[in-house]
Amino acid sequence: MALSLEELEAAIIEKATKSPKPQLYIKDFYKCDPDAKPRQIKNVANDLVKKGELMFWSSGSTTMYARPDRIKDEEGSEGIN
Amino acid sequence: MAKHETPLLDELEKGPWPSFVTDLKQQAETKPECWDILGQLELSYKDRITHWKHGGIVGVFGYGGGIVGRYSDVPKQFPGVEHFHTVRIAQPSGLYYSTENLRALMDLWEKYGSGVTNMHGSTGDMVFLGTRTENLEPLFWDLTHDLKQDLGGSGSNLRTPSCCLGESRCEWACYDAQEVCNHLTQHYQDEIHRPAFPYKFKFKFSACANDCVAAVARSDFSVIGTWKDNIRIDQAAVKAYVDGADGYPSNGGAHKGGNWGAFDIQAEVIDLCPTQCMWMEGDELKIDDAECTRCMHCINVMPRALRPGAQQGASILIGAKAPILDGAQFSTLVIPFIEVKKENDFEDIIDVIEKVWDWWMEVGKNRERVGETMQRIGLPTFLSVMEIEPLPQHVKEPRSNPYVFWKEEEVPGGWDRDIKEFRKRHAM
Amino acid sequence: MGYDPKNPMEGRITDLGPRYYGDMLPPVIKENKGTWLYHEIIEPGVLVHVAENGAKVFTVRCGSPRLVTVNYVRDICDIADKHCDGHVRFTTRNNIEFMVDAEEKVAELKATIATYGNKFPIGGTGACVTNIVHTQGWIHCHTPATDASGPVKAVMDDLFEYFGSMSLPAQVRIALACCLNMCGAVHASDIAILGIHRTPPMIDNERISGVCELPLAIASCPLGAVKPAKATVNGEEIKTVKVNAERCMFCGNCYTMCPAMPLADPEGDGIAILVGGKVSNAKSAPKFSKLVVPFLPNTTPRWPETVKVVREILEAYAKDAKKYERVGEWAERIGWEKFFEKTGIPFTEKSIDDYRLAYDTWRTTTQFKYTSHTAAYTK
Repeated sequence: MALSLEELEAAIIEKATKSPKPQLYIKDFYKCDPDAKPRQIKNVANDLVKKGELMFWSSGSTTMYARPDRIKDEEGSEGIN
Repeated sequence: MAKHETPLLDELEKGPWPSFVTDLKQQAETKPECWDILGQLELSYKDRITHWKHGGIVGVFGYGGGIVGRYSDVPKQFPGVEHFHTVRIAQPSGLYYSTENLRALMDLWEKYGSGVTNMHGSTGDMVFLGTRTENLEPLFWDLTHDLKQDLGGSGSNLRTPSCCLGESRCEWACYDAQEVCNHLTQHYQDEIHRPAFPYKFKFKFSACANDCVAAVARSDFSVIGTWKDNIRIDQAAVKAYVDGADGYPSNGGAHKGGNWGAFDIQAEVIDLCPTQCMWMEGDELKIDDAECTRCMHCINVMPRALRPGAQQGASILIGAKAPILDGAQFSTLVIPFIEVKKENDFEDIIDVIEKVWDWWMEVGKNRERVGETMQRIGLPTFLSVMEIEPLPQHVKEPRSNPYVFWKEEEVPGGWDRDIKEFRKRHAM
Repeated sequence: MGYDPKNPMEGRITDLGPRYYGDMLPPVIKENKGTWLYHEIIEPGVLVHVAENGAKVFTVRCGSPRLVTVNYVRDICDIADKHCDGHVRFTTRNNIEFMVDAEEKVAELKATIATYGNKFPIGGTGACVTNIVHTQGWIHCHTPATDASGPVKAVMDDLFEYFGSMSLPAQVRIALACCLNMCGAVHASDIAILGIHRTPPMIDNERISGVCELPLAIASCPLGAVKPAKATVNGEEIKTVKVNAERCMFCGNCYTMCPAMPLADPEGDGIAILVGGKVSNAKSAPKFSKLVVPFLPNTTPRWPETVKVVREILEAYAKDAKKYERVGEWAERIGWEKFFEKTGIPFTEKSIDDYRLAYDTWRTTTQFKYTSHTAAYTK
C-alpha cells in the first residue's frame, strides 16, 4: 500500500534526520515506500529541497541529499541549497 | 591583486600554438583576479600538484546540478581565487552561436566571474571557470531573465545532451541530430537540473557512423545515424573519381597534402571495404547492400559519388563510460534501427530512454553507470527488461562458455525433484 | 530589476534549457539545412559544402586553446561580425569555425584572421593532427595527476606542422585527461595522454571525521583496499580507514568520495601514453586505446618527455602506415610487437594486463613476429 504524499514526505525527512550519515543517496529513500516508483520518490525528494527541508550536497561527482542543519560546510557556503 | 612572477608559465608563451598564458595575462589587465589564477597555476607548476579543493556546492537554489564547487587551498596567497566555482551553461545544439548571444554571455561572465571560460567542456556545455558563491544567484538571475538561457547538468543528473552538427552542414546526417538533441534537452529539464539517478547519465547524438561526438565511447545512451536501404550511387561521379577529374579528390580532399599518387578505387575503396561487398563492372561500381554494414568508409572516400540510403534513422547503443572503475566500455547495440521523427515528438526514443531509466533507477547501485549495471546483471536480462527479442546483432560472437543461467520453466518437469525417488534408481 | 537576495524566489525563472539552435544558425546554413550534397576540403582548414540547389558554404576552421578568456571570445565575435553576419560555431574538438556564403569572401576572412597573429591558427581538417581535446588539470580540478592546458600547448607547439597540413595517412586524434576519471574520455583516441597517480592515498586522521562519510569511502574502492580502522587523535580514539597499499590501483576514487584521503604527489604523479583507439565505425569497429608508455614524469613547464614520445609515435606511424589507416589499424596490421620496434618505445611488463579480464589480451597463438625483443631467443 503506497503512502500518501504527506506520509512519504514525513518518512523521507525522518530518514534524512535519523540516518547515521547525514548525506543520503536517492536510493536510500526508496525504502521509505517500497511500493512507490523510484521516479516518484525522486520527485518528492526534489520538492523537499525546494521547500528547504532537504539540500543537495555534492561529493564531487555524485549528488546526494541531506538535512541542511546536519551539514557543517567548512567553506561557509551555506545559503546555496 | 598584485601581479605575480610566473617564470615557468612564461615558457608556455613560446611556440606557434595559441597560448592560454598570454591570453590570461592580457585578461588580467581588466580582470585582476586572473593574476591570482596565473599565480596559483605557477605554484602548481613549481610544486607539480594541484592547489584546488572541492566544496559541496552543486547548483543554485532548487537545482542539484550546473555548478561545481571549487576552493583554493592557498587562499591567503591568492585571494582572487579563494572561491573558484565552475558554472556550466547549456549549449545550443550543434554549437552554433550568434555573436549577439556570445557577447551577452561574455558580458555576464565579465560581470560575475573571472572572465575565464572553456569553449566548450568535455560534455558539451559552455564552461565558466571561477566565481564566488555570492555571485551564483545574481548570475543565474541575469542568465535566465536577460539571456533566456539556463545551466547545464552535473552530478547524478542527466548531463547536458550533445550532438554533432547533423543536417545543418553535413551531407551524411541520417537524422536531425540538433532537433532531437534540443527537444530531449527541453523535455528532460527536470532530470538535468535535479538529481534523479544512481549516477550520471549522458545522451549523445551522432547523425552518422563516423560519430563526431564520440557517442559510442562517451554516452550512456548513444544514438548513431544509419539507413536501411541501399547506398545511393551516382555512377558518373564514380567515373569522375576514377578519372581523377577536377573537384573529385579522394576522401573529400582530406589527403591533399600527402604523396599518395593517383586515386585507385580498387585499393582505396573496394579492398578496404570491411565486408568486401563492392566490385567494379566496367565503369560502374556495384554494391551488394545486403552484405553492407554501413561503416561509411566508401562514402567518406567518395562523397560526391556515394550517399547514405534514403530510408534513414538511427541505431541505439547503450552503456558507454570511461574506465573508472572496472575498465572502459563502449555502448552496446540494443536497437538496430529506429526512425527519428519529429512528427511524434520523438516518442519512440523517449519510450526507450524511460524503459532504461525505470530499470536502472530500480536496480542500479549507487555510483554505478548503466553500462556497469548491464554488465553486472547481464545483457539477456537487460534485453528482456527492454522487451527486445535477442538478436545475433546484439553480440560480436556467441559466448564460448556453456554457463547458461537456465530458468526453471525452461526445463521440462522443472527443478523440483525427489532425491529418494532418484536413489531408488541410482545407488550411491 | 535584478536579483533580490531578500526575496530569492520572487520572479524566479527555472528550467529554460539552452537557447534554441535554430536561432543561432547563419542564414546560408538555415536555408540549406538537410539538403547538403557533398563537401570538399579546399586546402588545410578550409571546407566547402555544396547544397542540392548549388548553394555553397565556405568554412574556415581555426584552433583554440579551449581555455580562453572573454577577451578572446570577443575577438572571435569581432571576426564573425565583420565577415560572417554575426555567426560562428565551435567544433566538438574546440576548434572555431567561421562560415561565409561565397568563395570570394574566404580570402578576406583569412586576412582578418591573420591580423590576430597566432591566436587563430587555420587547420584541423582531413589527414592532420587536429586540436587536442582535454580536461582542466591544475587550472581548475581537485583530482588531477597532471596539468592539461600546459602539456597540450607543448604538444601542439611541437606538432604544429601537422595541424595546418594534411600529409598523414589518416586523421590523428590526440586527447588528454588529467586523471583516470577521464572527463576528456581519452579511452578511444589515436594517442591518449593520461594523468596517473602512483602513490596510495594518505589518511588525514585529524580531518577525516569532519569531512568524510567512512562507509562511502570504504565502498568507493573497486578492489576493497580501503578498510575500517581506529586511530588516536589528541588522545581520543576515532573511527577512520586504512589502505592496503599493495592492492591500490591508484584510481583516486576514494579521494573523490573523501577529501581526507589525498593521493596526489609531485614524484608519484605523471603521464601514461595510450595508443590506437578510435571512435568512428569507418572500416574497423571503434577501438580502445592501449597502454604503451606506463609513466612519464610531470616535467614542468613543457613536459619534454611526453612531447618526445608523442612525436616518435606520430612519425613512426606517418612513415609506415597506409593511406586511410588509423594508428590502431596500423598497429594491428603490423602487430603490436612491431609497433614497439618501429616507435622505439621500450616494452615493459606494465603493458601486460593484470587487471580483470586480462586474459583476453594475452597471446594464445604461435603467430607472432620476431623483433628485437625476441633476439635473446634467436641469436
